[in-house]
Amino acid sequence: MMRKSPMKQESRQTISGVDFKEYFQPESIQKALEIRAEYGDQIEVAAGSTDLLVANYEKLHEIKYWLDLVKLDQLKKIEVIDNELHIGAMVTHLQLMKSDLIKKNLAVLAAAAEDVGSPQIRSRGTIGGNICTSSPAGDLLAPLLSYGASFKLQSTEGERIVKAEEFFTGPKRNSMETDELLTEIIIPLTDNKREGSWIKVGRRKALVISTLTLAVVLEFEGEKIVKAGIAMGSVAPTPVRLKGIEAVMVDQKLTDLDYKALGREVKASINPIDDLRGTKEYREDVAVDVMVRALKEIERKVSS
Amino acid sequence: MQITLTVNGEQRELEVTPYTRLLDLLREDLGLTGVKEGCGKGECGACTVIMNGELTASCLVPAPQADQAEIITVEGLGTRDNLHPIQESFVEAGAVQCGYCIPGMVLAGKRLLDENPKPTEKEVRYGLSGNICRCTGYAKIIDAVMLAADKLAVEGSDSND
Repeated sequence: MMRKSPMKQESRQTISGVDFKEYFQPESIQKALEIRAEYGDQIEVAAGSTDLLVANYEKLHEIKYWLDLVKLDQLKKIEVIDNELHIGAMVTHLQLMKSDLIKKNLAVLAAAAEDVGSPQIRSRGTIGGNICTSSPAGDLLAPLLSYGASFKLQSTEGERIVKAEEFFTGPKRNSMETDELLTEIIIPLTDNKREGSWIKVGRRKALVISTLTLAVVLEFEGEKIVKAGIAMGSVAPTPVRLKGIEAVMVDQKLTDLDYKALGREVKASINPIDDLRGTKEYREDVAVDVMVRALKEIERKVSS
Repeated sequence: MQITLTVNGEQRELEVTPYTRLLDLLREDLGLTGVKEGCGKGECGACTVIMNGELTASCLVPAPQADQAEIITVEGLGTRDNLHPIQESFVEAGAVQCGYCIPGMVLAGKRLLDENPKPTEKEVRYGLSGNICRCTGYAKIIDAVMLAADKLAVEGSDSND
């Protein structure tokens, strides 16, 4: 055998010309659900593929069966139905950040989408992929929790709606069954004034996995907070909604609240770990600061 | 499995596997070696192409997902004798050091200027934020894109498009 030059990289491509029966690219949701039901956890679901191909590149696992949802145009729509916003699972980050409906009604989600990866990632990566990958650092996840989003999971047996805070069960784990597909994200709209803040802390501005994220969404009647949604990413095994703190804020005037005390509450409610993006101690300290910053930002927005 | 796509204005039919990335297909099957592989994980931007009008990391696209897509690579912009104004600007600004990141940078610059013909420096930085230059020659790359914006404004229309 000839010795390969050390500079020559082996082609990553397997032999072409084989008819790949393991790759499915259905054009209807029904067909996709049937394939999902047949192959269960054997099949890898591909949306934007921005996580999937990284895992494949690092050979974290071999992909044998592929269920590619890219041709399901039904899942690429953003629409209002009965005072709820319905976002198709295949809507990209780029679509989210550019959509007038999202910018107007869910500004925190639009801002988070704008902070995902880079232009090259945002054009392919999807909201459904972000949710199903279920990384505690998924940038869209804290905003979805803050807005009280629900996820529509479909299977050949029917469909069910799961609340975002019940969906995530651990790092890269969720409560989706192996015959289900996430098809829609549903977020209630409101006539109340809704103001929010999105803060992402990372080592760079672009292409960075978050060290910590915070999404705060407050609904006002006059000056009174009638609903609060506070959620964080990268501070616990799953993205977390801080319901205890929300409860403290409801029925109060924003300017009557002690921001620093709330920040300390946030610190006490999270459970971060040390990793290469930051230490537990750093995350806890930053959590206090970002909470104060977010509330000040909302105060400015409300008063202007 | 077979896919059909348009590359630099030309329609191509290709035999691919699910493990073929758009990057492999462009470089190895079509010989478009202006598309570079850097990290292979979507972090460096060297493999950037414009896919259906948007910047895309071609290392993260399984070839079957490129079926019916419209792809522009750096080879689709100008020729050696007739450079695209953005390419001209990179030469004039001295923006090229080792050159590895440049095809991606040029395409990111083009995509930005297509949408926003008079960007601020901050907008240029944001537009190029998915592309890494390991010679760290960012200042002149940003100058080049600003220069290209001026050139294109003077020309009035992008005739090489």
